[in-house]
Amino acid sequence: MKKNTLYIALLAISGLLIACNPTPDITNNMLDSGQISYAITDSLQKHLVSEYLSNPTSLQKNTPVIIAAHGYTATTFEWDELRHYADSAKTFYVSQVLLGGHGRSYAEFKKATWEDWQSSIKDEYIKLSNLGFTKIYLAGSSTGGPLVINLVKTNFFANYTKPKGIFLVDPIIVSSNKTLTMVGLLGPVLGYTTVELSTGEAGKWYIYRPQETLKQLMSLINITRLDLEKGITLPDNLYVKVYKSKTDDVADPISALLIYKGLKYDWSLYKNIDVELVDSKIHVFTRLSGREGVTDHDRTLQHNTFKEMETKMKQ
Amino acid sequence: MRKLGFVIFIALTYCFQAIAQITSSDELGVGLRFQKTEQLYWENGVGLDYTSDLLLHKHIHLKMSYATSRIGSAMIGNALKQDNYLIGADWRFRPQKDFQIFAGLNTGFFHADMESSAFDVLPHNSMLFSLETGLFYKFKFIPMATNLSVGYNLINGDGVSKPGTLFPVYYQLSVFYYIGKK
Repeated sequence: MKKNTLYIALLAISGLLIACNPTPDITNNMLDSGQISYAITDSLQKHLVSEYLSNPTSLQKNTPVIIAAHGYTATTFEWDELRHYADSAKTFYVSQVLLGGHGRSYAEFKKATWEDWQSSIKDEYIKLSNLGFTKIYLAGSSTGGPLVINLVKTNFFANYTKPKGIFLVDPIIVSSNKTLTMVGLLGPVLGYTTVELSTGEAGKWYIYRPQETLKQLMSLINITRLDLEKGITLPDNLYVKVYKSKTDDVADPISALLIYKGLKYDWSLYKNIDVELVDSKIHVFTRLSGREGVTDHDRTLQHNTFKEMETKMKQ
Repeated sequence: MRKLGFVIFIALTYCFQAIAQITSSDELGVGLRFQKTEQLYWENGVGLDYTSDLLLHKHIHLKMSYATSRIGSAMIGNALKQDNYLIGADWRFRPQKDFQIFAGLNTGFFHADMESSAFDVLPHNSMLFSLETGLFYKFKFIPMATNLSVGYNLINGDGVSKPGTLFPVYYQLSVFYYIGKK
């Protein structure tokens, strides 16, 4: 009797796991479908400075260029507005990298690791360095933040042109949704999670988040948090500024404090990185396009941030 | 708020001591608590465990603890300094046995030290409310016991109004010495 009960229990658990781990219902108008790819040559040539300035002049080589990395499930669209600002200002370039596994399809996303996500930032950095660009900056929004911090931690820049500065917008070191900390346990049961997109965001973000990628995200932010706990020493002349919305239901604002405590210059310099807690409730407040209910205050914040980044790069 | 939590902790300590002096069936354990939050810090501290025949023949245990990252992850790194003041009650199954199973409720106060005034605008205090279950083992020949449990904070950080480093799942190991027992 006891043996039968055990078998029934095992069958029920197996059934539950299978039933709770279905394949998402993907339609062709979703980025997840693979029908709308940001990884095609045309798109890369439009977004990467190394592609559209593959033979730079001396003037272009000495113009600041920002490699802008977007967040988890996003695409280059997240930094389009900074690109538009730069195109108008004509004082700097923006190279919008598409993170590995992103902007392709659900299947491609599902199998990508966070190191794959990061690889496109590295590739573009190496290309720009080899092309002779002298003033390279990095910008990371949300998950782009820990990906960039990891490059500093691992001393990636040692053999290339040294970066001049790093701008982080709503970097995620701690998730606001604490259920993410249980993804190891709940992930196999859930299979994937879903987000709702506005009409303006549709086709630019993945809707479905496979549990494998949520585990990768948790792994990345946990590694980065531990690195920050141990302390990451910054090169003397590397400028770092963190912009963090005071209220953010995606990247917990405490992330800013953890970065502030963990990214340090040599003590003899008596200086810290710059952190600004921004009066906003928007996650990645520099991306307003496609959002609903954007206010004048939001537009002012965005403009002031871009202006400050531009000013810093002129110095 | 932090001072208030400390005052409550001290006051309850005296209450437990006073109760322990009333009847001979009382059991008062004092000990160490080692706590690891899932995907976050080690927070260690001290704890008390009290029961009596008056508490449904020792089915109910009252407890209190203080755990902090100050003697955990923050000792050797840049982890935030944060404090957990907890009081609670457990229901013990098989209370007369050496090996027991328990489940309980805790409440208390959480405080995270922002260290720089620039970050004081972020939420850093919160009430605690958690569920906990685990195993308890009473050693045979010495007046000591240990318990191992897993807890779930029903109140946890949300990026809006709760401290960001208040995470949901934690594991704890406590070791108690029972005063006056042989």
